[in-house]
Amino acid sequence: MGFFVRFWGVRGSIPTPGPRTRRYGGNTSCIELRSDSTVLIFDAGTGLRELGVSLLRNPPREGLDLHLFLSHPHWDHIQGFPFFGPAYLPTTTLTVYGSEKNENYQLLSGQMSNAYFPVAFKDLSARIVPKAFKKDVVEAGDFVVRRFEQKHPGGSSGFRVEHGGRACVYATDSELDQLLADQQQPVKSPRMLRRLPAPLVNAVKDADLLIADAQYTDEEYPTKVGWGHARANTVVDLAIQAGVRQLALTHHDPMHSDRDVDAKVLTAADRARTVGAELEIFGAREGVTLRLDRD
Amino acid sequence: MASRRTQTIDDDSPQTAMTKLPANFKPRPRRAHVLDQTAGPGSPKRHELSDDTLVIGRGSAADLRLDSDDVSRTHAQLLRVDDEYSIEDLDSRNGIFLNGLQVHAAVLRDGDQVQLGDVVFIYSEGS
Ligand SMILES: [Zn+2]
Ligand SMILES: [Zn+2]
Repeated sequence: MGFFVRFWGVRGSIPTPGPRTRRYGGNTSCIELRSDSTVLIFDAGTGLRELGVSLLRNPPREGLDLHLFLSHPHWDHIQGFPFFGPAYLPTTTLTVYGSEKNENYQLLSGQMSNAYFPVAFKDLSARIVPKAFKKDVVEAGDFVVRRFEQKHPGGSSGFRVEHGGRACVYATDSELDQLLADQQQPVKSPRMLRRLPAPLVNAVKDADLLIADAQYTDEEYPTKVGWGHARANTVVDLAIQAGVRQLALTHHDPMHSDRDVDAKVLTAADRARTVGAELEIFGAREGVTLRLDRD
Repeated sequence: MASRRTQTIDDDSPQTAMTKLPANFKPRPRRAHVLDQTAGPGSPKRHELSDDTLVIGRGSAADLRLDSDDVSRTHAQLLRVDDEYSIEDLDSRNGIFLNGLQVHAAVLRDGDQVQLGDVVFIYSEGS
């Protein structure tokens, strides 16, 4: 039945090419979830360009049928769209999911107004179809996708994606630390479990894989309050409370080198270990594919 | 507008011409991507990679044969795309571990540790 997750972009805020970020990668947010018959794309950051290149290497004869979900329209989550090759093919069907107001559709087209980019959205050859969530749930091929609100400047959506009894949650650009009942607790008693609100814990409950914004270390966060991103340690606590099996830290800070990301992962794993949680933690890395429908 | 770098090739088509290369410029020699087997039966052993696809396994059909019961007959496939190697699991029994994490597939990077059963490789990127 197949349930694959591939990381195409894991960097936050702005692309960071170069030797310091070569291993984890410098492209901004883009994740592919795939079953044997359906391809879902979460976020259209610069990683989307390479996903497009890959999809066009062996396109199915009947054309590509793709489903695009956007966490929110900040630049690092839409910037790859004008460079997404399949959008220029008349044989592609691209369903873009949003609320009833279709704001995602409009925001994607907005960045292609002619002051910014030479090709107009209306000139893209693909069949681009807006589709709305109904009560925060939608079916996309053989996946069921649920949407939930996150704390981020301008708002953002998290997604719980289910297929064949397995669940993957994609939750980026979410400042978990602003949802803590006592926001001073991580400073006063950093080792104490940081309790997150029940609706959020429920949205993530028992996920096989949680892919979450973990941009900052505890030390970095105090100067970034209100920027819309979480402390990695707080994400660990969310995963523990929700009984998650695997946690992928993502939206890596543009200032972080590969070694910095390694250090962030080690600190996070230490935290899970002290609590005694059976949680596997790793840093999301470009070009890595996980399979969720085994064992 | 004419500049010192502009030469007239023929009368009506002035072009910018590169008159000389930096003194020491030359194309870099190619260096192969390498898998060094550091643990498991047959180690240590160095495999320089040159084929576009390469099957790793215990069976006689494998291009890179490993004599270990922990390794499936066709365990994994290496695939070169745009001069980068990816490794992909071919439904093996024991899977592929990349730096300790079980993966279905991955684009390999310099220094990666790749484990198939009791066999461990270190990947070194060439150029
Ligand atoms: Zn972002
Ligand atoms: Zn954002």
